[in-house]
Amino acid sequence: MNNRVKDSFWSKINIFNKNSITPSLIIVYLAMIIFFSSLNPLFVSLQNIKGILANLGINGIMAVGLTVVILTGNFDLSIGSVLGVTAVICAKLFNIQNATIPIPIIILAGIMVGVIIGALNGFLVTVVGINSIITTLGTLAIFRGLAYMYATEASLIYNDRFLFIGRGYLFKDIPLTFVYMIAIIVIMYLILRFTKFGRNIYFTGANFYASKLAGINTRRNIFVAFIISGIAASIGGILMSSQLAFGQGVFGIGFEFRILTICVLGGISLAGGRGTLVGVLVATLILGSISNGLTLINVPINWRETFQGLILIIAILIDSIRVRRRELLKS
Amino acid sequence: MEIDKKIGETLTKKRNRFKLSDTLILLIIMVAIFAFFTLANRQFIAYENISSMLRNMVITGILALGLTPLMIARGLDISFGSNLSLTTVIIALLYTAGVNIWISLLAGIILSTLIGFINGIIIEIFDLIPIILTLGIMAILQSLALVASNAKTVAMLTDDLYYFASKSILKIPMPVFILIAIILIFWFLMSFTKIGRTIYVIGANPNAAFLSGIKIKKVRILLYTIMGFMVGISSVIMISLTGVGYPYHGVNLPLPTLSAVLLGGISLAGGSGTILGTLIGVLIVTMIFNGLSVMNLPSYYIQIFQGLTLILFVASYEIRNRKRSQSR
Repeated sequence: MNNRVKDSFWSKINIFNKNSITPSLIIVYLAMIIFFSSLNPLFVSLQNIKGILANLGINGIMAVGLTVVILTGNFDLSIGSVLGVTAVICAKLFNIQNATIPIPIIILAGIMVGVIIGALNGFLVTVVGINSIITTLGTLAIFRGLAYMYATEASLIYNDRFLFIGRGYLFKDIPLTFVYMIAIIVIMYLILRFTKFGRNIYFTGANFYASKLAGINTRRNIFVAFIISGIAASIGGILMSSQLAFGQGVFGIGFEFRILTICVLGGISLAGGRGTLVGVLVATLILGSISNGLTLINVPINWRETFQGLILIIAILIDSIRVRRRELLKS
Repeated sequence: MEIDKKIGETLTKKRNRFKLSDTLILLIIMVAIFAFFTLANRQFIAYENISSMLRNMVITGILALGLTPLMIARGLDISFGSNLSLTTVIIALLYTAGVNIWISLLAGIILSTLIGFINGIIIEIFDLIPIILTLGIMAILQSLALVASNAKTVAMLTDDLYYFASKSILKIPMPVFILIAIILIFWFLMSFTKIGRTIYVIGANPNAAFLSGIKIKKVRILLYTIMGFMVGISSVIMISLTGVGYPYHGVNLPLPTLSAVLLGGISLAGGSGTILGTLIGVLIVTMIFNGLSVMNLPSYYIQIFQGLTLILFVASYEIRNRKRSQSR
């Protein structure tokens, strides 16, 4: 207990504290790199690493949004559909006849899509009081349908500047999407750790009733968390339409599963209120490298999802064991 | 004072009598939807359409019935879609490899039951959140189905199954009788037996159930296993209706099935819900799906409507429950 009082500045910013899952994740990551590179040396070539990093960004950004929602003890299944709708709308806005809409406005419109869907989810969960899984299952279906509905004709994007947003490189070697991801993770990490809002998010998830009694506006926090998740998913949609240069209704199918795997592997407890974004960052790296590594060692594509499912199951088993150990230590 | 209390009680009793029960409201909504689609398109009540609707209802219905006791006991399984895909693929592969048709069907049912059992064991031993674990299992089973079938359809055309799927008795398609039998069994078990009451107690208050000596984990594992068995039966019906084992047979099943169960008045919080409610939920979902198809709307409208009905119904339940608890 005394240690708590003497919290030095260093222990505050030390991301590898005792309870963290991050060190073990980093060990797993290093072991994985050694494994894949021993089977195929191309794995550690500069070109391949660039490819891995370029593919990470969307997953990482969306994982940040989902993390905030899971920290409040809720769940968001609709992120894949948000990505699809946003990508389709962005591509449509580039293809309006006789009009060129400036890029910032298109990006803003895309983000507004995320805000609106997030606010709708948040409204249904906090004000109406529906379980978040059911709510987002419903919005998942609705917005996937809308994405298909809008994407009736081919919508290609020819604007080079917009394509640069998703495809460009910083200093010729660092993919821009990776830079965005790092920036968003750092900002969100600081918000969650050092602001009142961030602490309240953790409290809301750790003990909903206690935090309500303590005067925390739990409803508002959950509402904002869903909006953050929506924005993150719509950024993913903008980046995906920019990387692929078109928008289609099938974008983002199955993403909720992939992103959930990242969050759980990164140590975000599904019970809410536990876990940091550092773990999520390492988990993003691990999952991105695994799918790339499996391709390089010639694992057939149909097997790949088996690995992802296994990883998710192992991650939740570890999560449950950690929760149980924590409870044992308490008692 | 006492007299006042008594008057108050009789008043609330009278008011309660006027309140429509949830099931009755559901029935009225169902009739309204039926009337709407009938007015919108006369083809909706043609014999061919009704019989195809009934046939389509069987698979959703059996799966929803399997989910009902499970969700009443606060469990959840969303891997049933890919479980069904995998089972149909395995059955068809066994048959094409020369195995006797009945043995291959039996093997498929055993496989899906085993998958349900594994789901239950893992969830109950490690105290996991059911939806997350079954999401992982779903991905694994889906990719195993793709691996086993090499992402192709596996044909399985047999006279026995074709006969079963196409024949009707008294103008009612044969598979419907299986559904009716399962409905009766579940209704009897849930309403009149000890196991049914046990399931309700577990869902309403797990702690109290545990303290009164009910083996919660065993009951839940049994329910997961039953769900797996229901998946097995639906896979057999799916194969007999389509004549192929296909790794994407189950992709579009989870949403309508879950919506049907949730429309029927079952909440994720457990403890509430009836077999009759689930049945009406299945009818509503099937009618919306079929009615929109008959009106020649593109399939994405169906998806949008399914999502909308799910949210609207569950929202109305939440609002009703809150009003009720406030008035108490």
